[in-house]
Amino acid sequence: MTAVAPRAEGTGASLTTSKRTDVLENRPVNLDGFVEEWPEKGLVAMESDFDPQPSVRVEDGRIVELDGRTRDQFDFMDTFIADHAIDVDTCESAMATESVEIARMLVDPRTSRADVVAVGRSLTPAKILDVVKLMNVVEIMMGIQKTRSRRTPANQAHSTSAKDNPIQVAADAAEGAVRGFAELETTLGVVRYAPLVAIGLQVGGQVGRGGVLTQCALEEATELDLGMRGITAYAETISIYGTESVFVDGDDTPWSKAFLASAYASRGIKMRFTSGTGSEVQMGNAEGRSMLYLEIRCILMAKGAGVQGLQNGSISCIGVPGAVPGGIRAVAAENLVASWMDLECASGNDQSFSHSAMRRTSRLLPQMLPGTDFVCSGYSAVPNKDNMFAGSNLDTDDYDDWNTIQRDMQVDGGLRHVREDVILQVRNKAARAMQALFVELDLPPITDEEVEAATYANSSDDYPDRDVLADLEGARSVMERGITGIDLVRFLERAGFGDVAENYLQVLRQRVSGDLLQTAAVLTGDFTPLAAINDANDYAGPGTGYRLTGERWEELKKLRHVTSAENPEEEVV
Amino acid sequence: MTTNPDLAPELTPADYPLSVHRPELLHTPTGKTLDDLTMAAVVAGDITSEDLRISPETLALQGQLAAAAGRRQLAENFQRASEMTTIPDAEVLEMYNSLRPNASTAAQLEEIASKLENTYSATTCAALVREAAQVYAARNLLAEEESPVAPLAPQEA
Repeated sequence: MTAVAPRAEGTGASLTTSKRTDVLENRPVNLDGFVEEWPEKGLVAMESDFDPQPSVRVEDGRIVELDGRTRDQFDFMDTFIADHAIDVDTCESAMATESVEIARMLVDPRTSRADVVAVGRSLTPAKILDVVKLMNVVEIMMGIQKTRSRRTPANQAHSTSAKDNPIQVAADAAEGAVRGFAELETTLGVVRYAPLVAIGLQVGGQVGRGGVLTQCALEEATELDLGMRGITAYAETISIYGTESVFVDGDDTPWSKAFLASAYASRGIKMRFTSGTGSEVQMGNAEGRSMLYLEIRCILMAKGAGVQGLQNGSISCIGVPGAVPGGIRAVAAENLVASWMDLECASGNDQSFSHSAMRRTSRLLPQMLPGTDFVCSGYSAVPNKDNMFAGSNLDTDDYDDWNTIQRDMQVDGGLRHVREDVILQVRNKAARAMQALFVELDLPPITDEEVEAATYANSSDDYPDRDVLADLEGARSVMERGITGIDLVRFLERAGFGDVAENYLQVLRQRVSGDLLQTAAVLTGDFTPLAAINDANDYAGPGTGYRLTGERWEELKKLRHVTSAENPEEEVV
Repeated sequence: MTTNPDLAPELTPADYPLSVHRPELLHTPTGKTLDDLTMAAVVAGDITSEDLRISPETLALQGQLAAAAGRRQLAENFQRASEMTTIPDAEVLEMYNSLRPNASTAAQLEEIASKLENTYSATTCAALVREAAQVYAARNLLAEEESPVAPLAPQEA
């Protein structure tokens, strides 16, 4: 049985729909899933009668009522938020401010970022929801433009392989880094491959552009282990949830996650949490709240834990808000709230979302146009079929489109067009560095044929197969021998890749200074930390804040094919 | 949460990044400066992973910067982190696992809090663990006192 009438086959007498309808039926957007709202189950983006009304009450310097619940009724999210996230001294007066007044502060350039952030520190989740519900998507973008923490926008890539091939990951990391990504992330099909793939990501990244930061998304304890060894530079896959029941299903609590945040900082390792609309309803326990209300609870939990940043924007659950009315507006609103709460925001656009190219593009504009700390928290720097995060909203096929949109709109999405010879050179060098390093580490050899393949490859199909069992044995021995980042630096230097070794050492040295622990920190090409302290967003209306001008704008005017004005027969290189 | 008097701002945002503007304030837990962390020293085998760790003093400085930038909770996180620097990696992971839901009894959490306080002088970390123990008790998220071995799951047919 199907719920819809069968479609007519062919043409002629049996035609039951118009030819135009046939055309529309076959448009990619109609392969996407859409569903009615079901507020009782939390299948609603941000407008639900089942969300609580804002309220707060303070007694003896302690919040005793939050959004209609008294302390004896608090679940652990309420308790954590009341005790850690909200400024108690100012919350009653801030909560008395009309929501529309606060919404105007977010939009109006004459209100400074500092002032609107200060108000935000004193609000409850339901009040924050009440404010952003008043804002349309353009106003939300205005708010993101003003409240994002770092002045200069950036971007993050996924570099993974369907075969967990470390040489592929290294070559694609090198290309991604030279194209402009400030952070690179990998994950695995076969988890035991992790050490070799994480090494590939780090080495390739440092070949492409010194100072790129890398991470390997794994189970919490393993991820921390790779970080402590200095094989990765930061961590992000520290998931939090908006209801107590789902948080517990994830085998964590706000206190365990807050402890973990401090553990990373205690090793000098940058870290951010991950959350997003739709995760609670997808995991079957939204407790009848809207997706955005629950996400705002996550954002406040992250703030209360003192973690510097958050990856949000539905992330791997984008199909859920994407299916309901106003869902993509809610996703933009969650990025706004993370930014407003003064957290680094890596703003999604990192998961396969739609069959429609138009829809994929419209979904990314609320982050790309105002600029966020990381427009994508995972632009696939490999073809999506090699993306082990189950595919991203953007992949390598979209590089030229992305660069063209940057040029059309004069916005900085963090990438640039790079000449073919430069790309081939860094891909080749990354593969050769891995080849030399594998010899030093006594790992299964990387052949010249593999290096050649890596130089010119598009996907994992273009590489010779590796001996997976031998590689896994090698990966095990890397862990057992206690290989660390400093060993890799020494081996790279000894193998004749001194510049790559130097770049890697510079990244490791950052741990000693702790500079990358500050909000929204990245490393520039000359290894200067750039964070929301020395590059604080100073947007205050037209003519202020980050503007795409000067050398960077000249760089972004370049595309694969631009005709010379002087000689229309020639292209500009 | 009270403000730690040790975090009274002395540094200002202009001091950030410390690696560029105030390198003289930075040292590793092993007593090396940033300038000591050279490639020559790495090649000579004079640098180990222990030399690439952050010191509690540096975390306190970063905490000052965070507080000066109006980021109270980030500063508190750095305070806990600075206390954790001396706890061995494996023990940090073990403590984290003990804080997972239904993983520890009230007595076990108190034991961790005491150890944090007495062995590592990690008073704010201990406070976080005690706070967790209180909430876990109220929300039924403590492990059962007497049954450390879970009953066997029924065999699938």
